[in-house]
This record gives sequence, structure tokens and C-alpha cells, in this order.
Amino acid sequence: MSAIIEIKNVTKEFKVLKRREGLKGSLKDLFSRNYKIVRAVDNISMQIAQGEIVGYLGPNGAGKSTTIKMMTGVLEPTSGEILVGGNVPYKNRTRNAQEIGVVFGQRSQLWWALPLIESFRLLKDIYQIPDADYEEMLKLYQSLVDIEPLLHKPVRQMSLGQRTLSDILAAFLHNPKIVFLDEPTIGLDVSMKAKIRTLIHALNKEKKTTVILTTHDMGDVDALCQRIVIIDKGKMLYDNDIAHLKRFFGSYRTLKIRVDGDLKQEAENIQKELPDNSVSADDEWISVLVDEEKASVMDVLGCLQKKYKIRDMQLEEISSEEVIKKIYEEGVQ
Amino acid sequence: MKLKKYLTLTRAGIIEALQFRLSFVVMVIGNLLYLIVVYFLWKAIYASAGTDIVNGMTFTDTLIYLVLATALFNFMEMYTVWEIGRNIQSGKIVLDLLKPMEYRKYLFWSYSGSFVTQFFLTFLPTFIAVAAVTHGAIPLGINLLYFVISVVFAVSINYSIDFIVGTICLYTESIWGINIMKQVIVLLLSGATIPLAFFPETMKTVLHWLPFQSIYHAPLSILLNANPQPEKMLVTLGTQAMWCIGMMILSKLFWKASLRQITVNGG
Repeated sequence: MSAIIEIKNVTKEFKVLKRREGLKGSLKDLFSRNYKIVRAVDNISMQIAQGEIVGYLGPNGAGKSTTIKMMTGVLEPTSGEILVGGNVPYKNRTRNAQEIGVVFGQRSQLWWALPLIESFRLLKDIYQIPDADYEEMLKLYQSLVDIEPLLHKPVRQMSLGQRTLSDILAAFLHNPKIVFLDEPTIGLDVSMKAKIRTLIHALNKEKKTTVILTTHDMGDVDALCQRIVIIDKGKMLYDNDIAHLKRFFGSYRTLKIRVDGDLKQEAENIQKELPDNSVSADDEWISVLVDEEKASVMDVLGCLQKKYKIRDMQLEEISSEEVIKKIYEEGVQ
Repeated sequence: MKLKKYLTLTRAGIIEALQFRLSFVVMVIGNLLYLIVVYFLWKAIYASAGTDIVNGMTFTDTLIYLVLATALFNFMEMYTVWEIGRNIQSGKIVLDLLKPMEYRKYLFWSYSGSFVTQFFLTFLPTFIAVAAVTHGAIPLGINLLYFVISVVFAVSINYSIDFIVGTICLYTESIWGINIMKQVIVLLLSGATIPLAFFPETMKTVLHWLPFQSIYHAPLSILLNANPQPEKMLVTLGTQAMWCIGMMILSKLFWKASLRQITVNGG
């Protein structure tokens, strides 16, 4: 398959005024020409094929949004080349806009005071979507999610989850070749997250839409992406399929439990019983790192339950921050 | 259908504006208070002048002019600078930039619904009220046609100026001061707060060569002119047309050059 997005050695630098502190510093800053150059994206290259779902990961401030803004044409790269569907995005922003859809998890493109259906009608006219395509898309939406109750509700009265769902539907409405989803599941509860993942997956399947997804939630990545790209401090750390990363990390999860007695002391006892797992304790929890390829969390929990009275427990997936930390420390083979 | 793309925004604007019906009431009350202040202020000015006619205008002339200027202001003021500034600060501008439409047009048409509602809900009632109360002080003839054309130009010039000032927000990332300054300058130099007839001669000459008088002074003087001579109308409308095109090009170029400046908050 040919690449729909091509990024070659792209770098983006921002000029930022060096601010000083305090009143005196602020006054001096009025006349300061003391700029420093911040490199938000540093020599990134990648190719993305039509129909792929790519997870774009990295800690806050890694340069994810900056890359997305360059791909959408809002920002111009300092150097390097970007081609999106054959267009140079920042030169043909309006033409590029016709081919892409965007969702920023924290902002809405919908008309605040109007019912959702009015926003859809507006987008239909703005993107000049033919009637037949529009009807077909609405039918598809109806088959995927229960949008009927949402359609006539003003956006400002929607819950965050409903609004995000609506925003995703709005981004796909003109059947764009590429959809950028910037943290679409941020702040949502588990069931809404699942709903949104299913929706994205179905739309990608149905319309062969390329999806670029940034997130901090490894659950999103697990559910949706075949391929992930990790960046940190503007540099690309990893670009490969997710199975590869999984093999490398094993499938670690952290089991957190709370028992009676001194946690530090108990943690040491547990460590003796489970020599294969690393056990640590803080003020509230005893954490047991479990490699599920060796023993399942349930087995470990069952084993512990026989000897200790577990008052409370939590299960944590490995987070993208931990993945990145691990890549830094150990590298990827 | 290219026009549909834009008119759909007008339609949404009308629906949106009608959602907030209370704001109309508040606005009408606010205007009434302003007009009461204007009434007493100018009454005092005429009383101290000691003559009935000051600078060629009677008290009634001045009052009619200022009432209509206020009505026109409600109709033409688009709060573009606020809108652009807020969008820059919140970062929402990214979403607007990603519409398959020039930002300048997108913003204008998004607001255009308010023109329609404001025209019918504030300008027209004021106009009818003034015409009724003053018994024919506003001439109703061919001047109305010229007036409509003149207002179209005025709206466009006003928007271009707003858009240029809004673009400056890309550099400063602050809105308040710039917006207040713009408002004072435009309203004063355009003749919206004080009729241009009251300005000193040199000032009048200077203002003659600036775009501001095309926004309020031009349409209002056309409206209040009982027997418009076609040549004079042509000069006024021609001047407006030139400013309209000039400012449009200027605002477009300035925006294009400034867009590179965007760093876009949040990311």
C-alpha cells in the first residue's frame, strides 16, 4: 500500500522569550530580546499507509500535538518535508482540511448552543457533502451507536463522554482520508472509553480511514493500534508494531494490595513467598509486579489470599510513561 | 452551490442568537440608558451654546444622528477582536483553521447571523421609532436605497479593521487593551460618538482621508440627506468602495503574513 502520510526529517523549533522571575524581572522582560530556541520536534521521519491506525505516544510535552498540528497544516515545519495525501499541508491548508478530520479531546468543534443535528447540517454544507453520502453516513452512525437521543440535544447540555462521541462522529462525517484523534478518551469513564474505542475501530474498518491517535492510555493502544510510534523530547524513540513491544515488555501488570499490619514488613514477607515477582511497598499499597506470561494475576492473588487478609486491591496496566522509561533504560531490541 | 457553504453559517448564527433571548432585553435597556445620557449631555451643550444651531445642526438633528449611530453600532459591532483573541488564548483557533474555508471568511459568516437578528430586533425598531416620533425628520425616499448600499460597505470596512486589530493579537496574545483602544479610536474618528461636523477644520480634513468616516459618518449622512444628488452619492459610495477593497486586501495580506507567527497555545 502506498503511504498517505509521508514525513521526512521534520524539525520544528519555537522561539520563546526567556522570562525572568519577580516584578523586577518582569519589568526587564519588557525590553528583553533574550530568546531561546526550543526544539519541539527533532528530525522525525515516518510513513503511514492508508487504513492504518497508528498510536502516537509520548509523555506530556513530548511534541505529539506539534507533529499533529504540522500534519494538519496549522504549523509550518522549520525544516523537513511533510506530505499528506499528496498535499503540503501548510501550503494548501484549506484543501488539506477537506481530506482530514480532527478531534482534540479537550476542545469541541461543535456549535455549543445548537443541537447536534444542526452541527451535522452545518458541517454537511461547509464540507459540501453530497446528500446521499450524508444520509449513508448517518445510517452508518445509527447502526454503530445510539445517536438518536443525542441528535436533538444541545451540545452544551451533553456530558463529556457524549460530547466526545459527537465530536468523533463530526470528524468522520465528511468521510476524510485521515482522522487525527488527540487524546479522545481523556477524562472518560471505562464504559464510555470502550464505546469510543469500538466506534473508532468500526469506522476505520468500514471507511478505510487512516487514524492517528495520541493517548496516554495504554488501553486505547491495546484496543485499536497495530502500530505505535513513541516520541519523547521531540525525538522518535520507537516505531514498530505493538506485538513487538509487547514481546519486549512481556505483559506486565501491577497488582496493588492493602493488608493489615505494617506494610513494609508484610511486603518483605510476600517477597520471600514470591521470589519471581518484585514487591515493593509505600504508605498505602503493596505493589507486586506480575508477568502474566509466567503466572496470571489471578493466581498470584489467590496465592496471597490464602495467607493474608486482603482488605483492598487495585490492578494497574503499565502506562506509556513506564514504557518510555523502560525504553530509555534498556533500549528496544 | 458555493454560497450555501457560507449561508449555512448565517442560518446557524440566527438560531444561536435566538437561543439567548434575555440578552436582547439587557441590550435594549443598556441602549436606553446610554441614549438618556446622550440626550442630557447634548441638551446641556446646546443650552450653553446659546444658539439653536451649532455647527449647522439643530438639537433634534444631532439627537437623531446619535440615536441612529447607536442603533447602527449595535448592528455593525461584531466583537471580532474579542472572538479572535479568545480563540487564540483558548487554542480553539486550531479547529477554526482546520475548516475548509479561509479563516477570515469563516469568522465573518459565522457572525453574519447576528447581522440579521440585530437588524430586525434593534436597528429597525429604533429606526421606525425615531421616524415616528420626529414626524418625518428622516427623509424616506431614494436615500434609503443609497443607505443600504452604504451600510454594506461600512460593515465590510468595519470588519476588515477589526480583523486587522484581531490579527495583532497573534503577536501580543492579549486582547483587552487593544480592543478598548480600537473601539475608542474607531467610534470617535468615525463620527459615532460625536458627529463629524463638531470636529475642528484641520481634524475634519485629516479624517476625510482616513477609512473611519466611511463606517458611520457616510451611511448616516446619506440616510439623513433629504435630496441626495447622484454625483455626491457617487463620490461617497465610491470612496467607501475603495476603502472596502483596500482594507480587505490589507487585512488578508496581514493575516497571511502573521499566520506563521502562530504558536497555538496548548501543545
